[in-house]
Amino acid sequence: MRPKHVMVDLKGQARSFFRVKSNLFWVFAFPLLLIIIFGAIFSNLGSEAVTLNVQNLDQGPGSQELLAALNETGMVKLKFISPSADLEQYIKDNSLAHVMVIPANYSSNLASNLTAPIELRLDETVSTSGAVFNAVNGVVNAFNLRMAGGEQHVQIEMGSIVQERFTFLDFFVPGIIGLTIMTTCVFNVQGTISRYRANGIFRKLATTPMTPFEWLLSRILWHLFISFLTLAVIMGFGVLIFGMNMSVNLVVVLMIVAGSAMFSALGMIIARFVKNEETASMAANAITFPMMFLSGTFFQLEMMPSYLQQIAAVLPLTYMSQGLRDAMVYDNLAGAYFNLAVVAVIGVMFVIVAVLITKWEEE
Amino acid sequence: MECLRIKTSGEVRILGHDIEKGQRDIRKRIGVLPQSFNAFDYLTVKENIEYFGGLFDKGVAAEDLIEAVQLQDKRNVWFTNLSGGLKQRVGVAIAMVNDPDLIFLDEPTTGLDPKARREVWEIIRKLKSQNKTVILTTHYMEEAEVLSDRVAIMNDGKFIAMGTPKQIIEQYGSGSTCVVKGANPAAAEAVRSAGMTLEARDGDLMVKLDNKGSLPRLVGLLSGSEVTYDEVLIKGSTLEDVFLKLTGKKLAEAEQ
Repeated sequence: MRPKHVMVDLKGQARSFFRVKSNLFWVFAFPLLLIIIFGAIFSNLGSEAVTLNVQNLDQGPGSQELLAALNETGMVKLKFISPSADLEQYIKDNSLAHVMVIPANYSSNLASNLTAPIELRLDETVSTSGAVFNAVNGVVNAFNLRMAGGEQHVQIEMGSIVQERFTFLDFFVPGIIGLTIMTTCVFNVQGTISRYRANGIFRKLATTPMTPFEWLLSRILWHLFISFLTLAVIMGFGVLIFGMNMSVNLVVVLMIVAGSAMFSALGMIIARFVKNEETASMAANAITFPMMFLSGTFFQLEMMPSYLQQIAAVLPLTYMSQGLRDAMVYDNLAGAYFNLAVVAVIGVMFVIVAVLITKWEEE
Repeated sequence: MECLRIKTSGEVRILGHDIEKGQRDIRKRIGVLPQSFNAFDYLTVKENIEYFGGLFDKGVAAEDLIEAVQLQDKRNVWFTNLSGGLKQRVGVAIAMVNDPDLIFLDEPTTGLDPKARREVWEIIRKLKSQNKTVILTTHYMEEAEVLSDRVAIMNDGKFIAMGTPKQIIEQYGSGSTCVVKGANPAAAEAVRSAGMTLEARDGDLMVKLDNKGSLPRLVGLLSGSEVTYDEVLIKGSTLEDVFLKLTGKKLAEAEQ
């Protein structure tokens, strides 16, 4: 093992890596695009009030009181439909999902102590319908309680599970770091090995004093550097542009080292077992794609059916993303160390296999 | 011999070292241009030479090698943007980075146009003049004949002839032939009746020159009053003729 040989290869990669345009895309543009697109889709969830369309046929003070209370919850934004409008037609024309109708005799019914129904029409296929129902239900219950002169016996005290205020991006971005490290390491290493074997560079290197181990080591070190670059780019973007809360500590650094080595070694193993250049690239896709979507990068694992959660439990990216999230956002050190241990063990195994099976040329 | 494959049987010594036990020492002293050579696409000519030079302890300065293969004006061009002939010249330069005593060039001119091929030949001649031993593998017999001091013809993994190009041609060739182009039937008749070996092909006569007296005799016969012809030329045997004769194959088949 000669450090000089490793340095020569590292220098070669440093000179050539960013001359390839697609590498620039995968390292810089791809993670930022994901953050911007998914950030825009998900970040508004739950933070903005849902629109509730109201057709108020009642002229009395009762309906005004109800609407004022609803408005005060801040959970719904009221939008009024003219009392003279044909409701069915209006709903169709405007594709409304949440509509409340206050009948004409609402106030008078209340005044005469009769049951005063209000009509709530919700599209159950829209995820915000539950929030609208809760808002209306809460207000109606409060009204009933007050009118009955009752007392509130059970009371809910609100407390947040996360200490600081986190946004969707805070959940999402550590996963994107893990995902980007996986794709760059697996595809780059697999692609390089398949290409060098096909175009004869390995045959040439075999005639030099450099050993396959020195070459592998250089490639793992280089992708480690690229992984830290990815971390810096994504964090810099998140903190500066989106004002996110993230911290880098020792566990994060160790997780990047372990994860990067694990995925580089995985790329080497794929390229060694699948000899043909195109087939190897398909194999890399077949292995990384399920991880992309099942490892809790885009949605929390708890949202998936249990059989998919069981698949997620054997995918290495699950542990890397969860560990990064624990360490960077949730400040859950115990969880972070557990996930780090899993990634480190898989990483060491993959690297050992990669070193054992790598030769310059197949006999 | 290039330390690429594991030997199946026998014994090979390169520069005094056994090819199995002495691989490390051999690698330091040989230079190899592998078949269908490629360097790193996104490094320049100079950076590629520096890369491979860095893997050896002793070496030749990159600039000197660039000059040796005449790539001065391409030194900062990415390898991927070079033509086939220029890539092969980079390959020769890289094979020389460790100032080797023995250089293997595996089909260095395959796929090159005649001009690029001759440029590679020039570089190989220069290596010869620097007292480097060059082992050249080629399918082009003309190339072997022009460049080599010694030639070995290999067929189905066995040497079937070895020696200087001249020796091989003398030993296996069919001597010289005089070609009489556009000869009339009287010419053919005159030569045949004089007892000379000939072959008629598309109006041309191929007359075998068996001994020293053959040529003056033929010239005498051609001056006969009935005889007419367009052109006369003398053809020696080439290595290609020998190769075809020895292997019994067409060159095209051998190349496939």
